Amino acid sequence: MTLLVPVAVPVLGALTYLVFGWRRATTWVSALSAGVVLGAAIFLAVGVSRSGPVAAVAGLLRADALSAFMLLVIGAVGLVATAATPAYLREEIAAGRATARTAARHSLLVQLFLATMALAVLAANLGVVWVAVEATTIVTAFLVGQRRTRASVEAAWKYVVICSAGIALALLGAIVLNFAAAHTRGTTGLDLVALTTHASGLDPGVTRIAIALLVLGFGTKAGLAPLHAWLPDAHSQAPAPVSALMSGVLLSVAFYAILRVKVISDAALGVGFARTLLVVMALASLVLAASLLISQRDYKRMLAYSSIEHLGLVAFGAAIGSPLALTAALLHVLGHGLVKAVLFLSAGRVLQITGTSRIDGVRGLIARRSALATTFGLGVLALIGLPPFSLFASELGIVRAGFTAGLGWFTSVALLLVLVIAAALITGTSRMLLGEPSTVDAEAASPIPIALAGGLLACAVLGVAAGPLPSLLDLATQPLVVTR
Amino acid sequence: MYVQLLDLACGALLLTAVLVLWRRELTVIIRMFALQGAALAVLVGVLAAQENSAELWAVAVGVFALRAVVLPYLLRRALAGAGESRRETRPLVNVSASLLAAAVLTLLAYAVSQPLVELAPSAATQAIPVGITVVLIGFFVLVTRRRALSQLVGFLLMDNGITAVGFLATTGVGLVVELGVSLDVLLAVLVLQVLTTRMRETFGDTDLDELRELRD
Amino acid sequence: MSALGVIGGVVQPVLIVAGSPLLVGLMRQVRARLEGRAGAGVGQPWRDLRKLLRKERIAPRGTSEVFRFAPLVLVATTLVVAVVVPFVATESALDPVADLFAVVALLALGAVALALAGLDTGTAFGGMGASREMTILALVEPTLLVAIFALSVRVGSTNLGAIVSSTLHDPARVISPVSLLAAVALIVVIVAETGRIPVDNPSTHLELTMVHEAMVLEHAGPDLALVELASAMRLSVFLGLLANLFVPWGIATEATPLALLIGVLALVVKVGVLGGLLAAGEVFVAKLRLFRVPELLAGSFLLALLAVAASFFLA
Repeated sequence: MTLLVPVAVPVLGALTYLVFGWRRATTWVSALSAGVVLGAAIFLAVGVSRSGPVAAVAGLLRADALSAFMLLVIGAVGLVATAATPAYLREEIAAGRATARTAARHSLLVQLFLATMALAVLAANLGVVWVAVEATTIVTAFLVGQRRTRASVEAAWKYVVICSAGIALALLGAIVLNFAAAHTRGTTGLDLVALTTHASGLDPGVTRIAIALLVLGFGTKAGLAPLHAWLPDAHSQAPAPVSALMSGVLLSVAFYAILRVKVISDAALGVGFARTLLVVMALASLVLAASLLISQRDYKRMLAYSSIEHLGLVAFGAAIGSPLALTAALLHVLGHGLVKAVLFLSAGRVLQITGTSRIDGVRGLIARRSALATTFGLGVLALIGLPPFSLFASELGIVRAGFTAGLGWFTSVALLLVLVIAAALITGTSRMLLGEPSTVDAEAASPIPIALAGGLLACAVLGVAAGPLPSLLDLATQPLVVTR
Repeated sequence: MYVQLLDLACGALLLTAVLVLWRRELTVIIRMFALQGAALAVLVGVLAAQENSAELWAVAVGVFALRAVVLPYLLRRALAGAGESRRETRPLVNVSASLLAAAVLTLLAYAVSQPLVELAPSAATQAIPVGITVVLIGFFVLVTRRRALSQLVGFLLMDNGITAVGFLATTGVGLVVELGVSLDVLLAVLVLQVLTTRMRETFGDTDLDELRELRD
Repeated sequence: MSALGVIGGVVQPVLIVAGSPLLVGLMRQVRARLEGRAGAGVGQPWRDLRKLLRKERIAPRGTSEVFRFAPLVLVATTLVVAVVVPFVATESALDPVADLFAVVALLALGAVALALAGLDTGTAFGGMGASREMTILALVEPTLLVAIFALSVRVGSTNLGAIVSSTLHDPARVISPVSLLAAVALIVVIVAETGRIPVDNPSTHLELTMVHEAMVLEHAGPDLALVELASAMRLSVFLGLLANLFVPWGIATEATPLALLIGVLALVVKVGVLGGLLAAGEVFVAKLRLFRVPELLAGSFLLALLAVAASFFLA
């Protein structure tokens, strides 16, 4: 039953918005349902750590520590994003950019978005994972194009076309893998556990094709190069809470699928194959992010490219594949999710205040809105991996694991690129925050939503003392490490 | 007889894919796509007859309904709203070059799919390269065409190819997944269709050359 | 060298030489009737040839031997092809020459000779026609080779006689994707090679659109008669090849008079029907712009290649 809650509750939330629309009473339903997902995730994490994986619905849903952890990420980032949504939507309606109908549809789709993501991490079958990931594309397409401007329609089109095509490659991969499984003793179909246990019997030639297609396909959705082109457009055009969710969780949910595939690949083909693929994609993403961040003029796109960078880092951690690297990569997923959600939400607020998403259009923010500017600044500091935020710990972990695993050269290159990106981010942000304000407005300083502060605080706390999380992370990485 | 019919269906898949690449008139492209859907349904039907499976027969009917009737209908409706712009006038790669590229893609598909054929040689698996070729041609159409509708057809071509591979390799991926896949395709097309309409409202055209606002 | 081969080798060239102008006459007549004209009658090409043959030989000033020999080379190569290709009988008088590559090379040789003659005149029209013809030829020949090669893969031999007789023994092969794809490719290629609409218009003398006619503009008298005869023979040869590769029924497999008679009749009927269809098709199709021709030919090349690929990867 616990497995159904994270999927069913957001669906119920969606139904609520469908029936009652956007009104005072339903304002907080969204955040409530995200909170329930977070609660269920914690409950599930505790249960899984005590008594092992659980299954439900005729074996279609299954949760181990990794699923529980990913659900935790979804719940936490979802809570931050949905808690900030009412303020955002109120402002949009007040500015005439949205109506109550748009707001209701927005909340409805966000709820479905949460449900599909929860389904993706809880599914026991690679086919169902695929269906859920593709469903996230469909649900979010209208969220990206919500504002109906030229740019947002263009972004939505690119998003759907590129992601659907990429994810179609993953489907082909799944079919090929299914073919390999059908000709292996002990496995039929795409059940993840069965595939992993019997992976060594899979035909190597066929599995290689399948893995390459699956990694490339889910990599599209995770924003990894070479099929990343949709990401900066979609993330910069979507409404702020949606950008937060897409950047903070959707990318990592897609990456979760790659992690599952990688286990199969490691057992069937040895660690070399998936490692090569992921290292190439990770470094390509880092290079791309670095080169486009250096002269970036749009702060939402700046954040979007930074997402490509961080997913590249996570992919690099997964490529290394040692327990330390995987633990660090998972911690990175959580930390990045929280920080990026906070950043996109504050960027959305900045956009609402200044009306422009160009960095040059925002000057002297710290003088105009000190609280907002502080949140944004702290977020960027967290993003580039300064202590005490947890991204520092996870990046350190990935780098150390990289040197230990004999990937010294690649790790050095990655580190260098991360430094370049950090410099670019600092430059961009300081241009926004510092300097003389271009316009002087005497508007009363609106308080920063608690959600944003909470997200930053959570990330900082994770960096200092992770509490019971390490044991969950250990459990989560255990099945991912293959010794062969 | 079974092998002959199977091969014929595969040949029709291939031929319609090539014709989509070849022709410029969007109405003809949509008709070719509908024909391809029918060929795919025949393919599944032949497999159903061979395996004597009622479930597969049902799937064949479903494939026909979705890919030869519903999707072409949706595309045609989108086209009817498009007004004058009914031709793919300036593809990124000209038609002769893309036909030659398709020749290269065929050889590539053949080379790539060798392990698949060798794993379980049979009449059905030997036709897998045909499916992969259709996927590659679809991807090519998706990448090189400028009209929104042609891109959509490219995406659907990819999907037809994948479905063909799925049925040729094994008999589907389980009914739940198959259902999910079909539903997803339908939804994706609906989403894209709505976006096409919106694009026409905001840009006045569905030529994707107009999409130049977002770039670095 | 079998008796059947020898008889075939005598009957085929006679039939082709005598019949091909009639085929052209038939096609013109079909077009005329469909366009609502009375037409000049089926025998008109023969009457034209007779008139031309009686005239004086004349060559433009400054032309070399190339110009004089080209019509002869063209007729000679086509005659050899008419002798060896299995039109009436499955066996060939010169079996080694009835090879796919040899036949295609012979046909290409004739076309190249004529193009050289066009260049030799040094006039603008001759050069333009030759260059256009060579462009088309460069695209047509590979397609022709690949398409027939696709048919030969299953037989395991590039001998045309072997391909025809194996189709005769295994009729189901005709409806395989391999032969369907190859057939479409061959039809396109034959239309292009013989200079019919939509690639070229055999009855135009408009400088913007001429291909073949521009090239032979300087030929006159008996030379022109030979060129005209050879073009007609090439048309019959291609149509006969197309017919026998895909619908070989009726062809003589033994050296009895009855079998040979049936073979001759079958060929006449098949080629006549194909020619009639081609002529009828031309009425309804507009000529392609020259720049679109490579597109058509690239498409047919792709189809031929797909046919080869299919012959390897479909069982």
